[in-house]
Amino acid sequence: MSVITPTTVLKRRSDVRYRLIEGEAVVLRQSAAEVLVLNEVGASVLELADGERSVGDWIDALAAEYEGDSTALARDVLAFAAELAEAGLLEPG
Amino acid sequence: MSLSRVIATAWRENLLFSVLVELTYRCNLDCFFCYNDLGLKGEPLTREEYFRLFAELREMEVLNLTLTGGEPLAHPDFLVLGARARELGFVVRVKSNGHALRGELARRVRDEVDPFLIEVSLHGATAVTHDRQTRVPGSFDRLLANLRELRELGLRVKLNSTLTAWNEGEIEGMFAVADSLGLPLQVDPEVTPRDDGGREPLQVTASREGVLRLFRLQFERGRAAQGGQVEVQVARGGDDGTLPTPVDKHCGAGSSGLAIDPYGNVYPCVQWRRPVGNLHRQGLREIWRGSAGLAEVRDLTVEVKERLAVQGAGGHLLNFCPGSAAIQAGTPFELYPAAVQRRELLEQVMAEEESGRKKKTSLPIVR
Repeated sequence: MSVITPTTVLKRRSDVRYRLIEGEAVVLRQSAAEVLVLNEVGASVLELADGERSVGDWIDALAAEYEGDSTALARDVLAFAAELAEAGLLEPG
Repeated sequence: MSLSRVIATAWRENLLFSVLVELTYRCNLDCFFCYNDLGLKGEPLTREEYFRLFAELREMEVLNLTLTGGEPLAHPDFLVLGARARELGFVVRVKSNGHALRGELARRVRDEVDPFLIEVSLHGATAVTHDRQTRVPGSFDRLLANLRELRELGLRVKLNSTLTAWNEGEIEGMFAVADSLGLPLQVDPEVTPRDDGGREPLQVTASREGVLRLFRLQFERGRAAQGGQVEVQVARGGDDGTLPTPVDKHCGAGSSGLAIDPYGNVYPCVQWRRPVGNLHRQGLREIWRGSAGLAEVRDLTVEVKERLAVQGAGGHLLNFCPGSAAIQAGTPFELYPAAVQRRELLEQVMAEEESGRKKKTSLPIVR
């Protein structure tokens, strides 16, 4: 996948199943039979990856929800989106 | 957080995580030792009631939904219900005898239901044994052909089997069949009574020697597959066998899991047939939150854990099931023969393994 920027639009892959348990996400990628557990921010990112909102929209949504350095947040979300794409959970929207 | 901690949280906080739905008790095979209560009467849940149930489960953040029976594909709405389950994002497992899973139906299951896993029953390594158990001539050959077809379609399949007096002599052959198909095989060493308490299925309980042979084989295969590391499998964890980090309950019956029969009766677990509500009268969320019977079951799982503590470190080898105990001994606390035998035989095999390891490590000194 090409470099992820704030204008990139991503969506969950069709074989990804997940549920939120006490704020965290239990994620199963069916084709790989892999189970991941994502923390609260990771769970939020997965929820936001609907194929309509851009990664920049995610950053704005998370900045409104979590306190802290917005530049660091943007950097972390971009890196995390790349990680999830690399793990096969997200694909271009 | 790890998956084991998530499961522990679900047990502790009573967060419904996995639901097993018996869609119908109809079946195109006639297994002698079937545990279903075929005499149970009631009004089957309608398609709309299933839709309501699935919607509630989605709202409750349930992840795992298992569709079983009887033979689930014998339910006239199987594909419709499976497709709805897929739309709602459940991890769908289908437990089937595999007899009808071929051709157009198999393709539609793949394309419309997209199950994470199809669990299919294998009863023997030969047609003679398999067909004897299913009481349907030709079922073995048909199953093998269907399994090959499912593999070609790209469906994920796992084989399940129950060790019986009839198939224990060909357990190695059953693993060979599974290996030749490239499929995992899980063998349950226990035949259980019927859900109505009927003990006829126990007539084909495997012999002590047969169970011992199975355990030895499982250890041998585990050792070969895992480079010497063998873990004892227990069946009371999550759907993938994951065990939770320690909590005060023995199992997740009624705390993270539920089972529902074709007539809407809700049970804490597929093996614990103690009704805690009925979906014709109440929604599932109402049962989950308000059922006095369910609250009692949750307390019982705590008490089971406390009572089993006296069994010491080897207690987990019993793979004790309160549901099995309730049906076999009338109380969810009493050790039943199969559990006791399981521990004895596992301890024996583990001792043999330990002895084998010591011999191996002493070899350099002998030289």
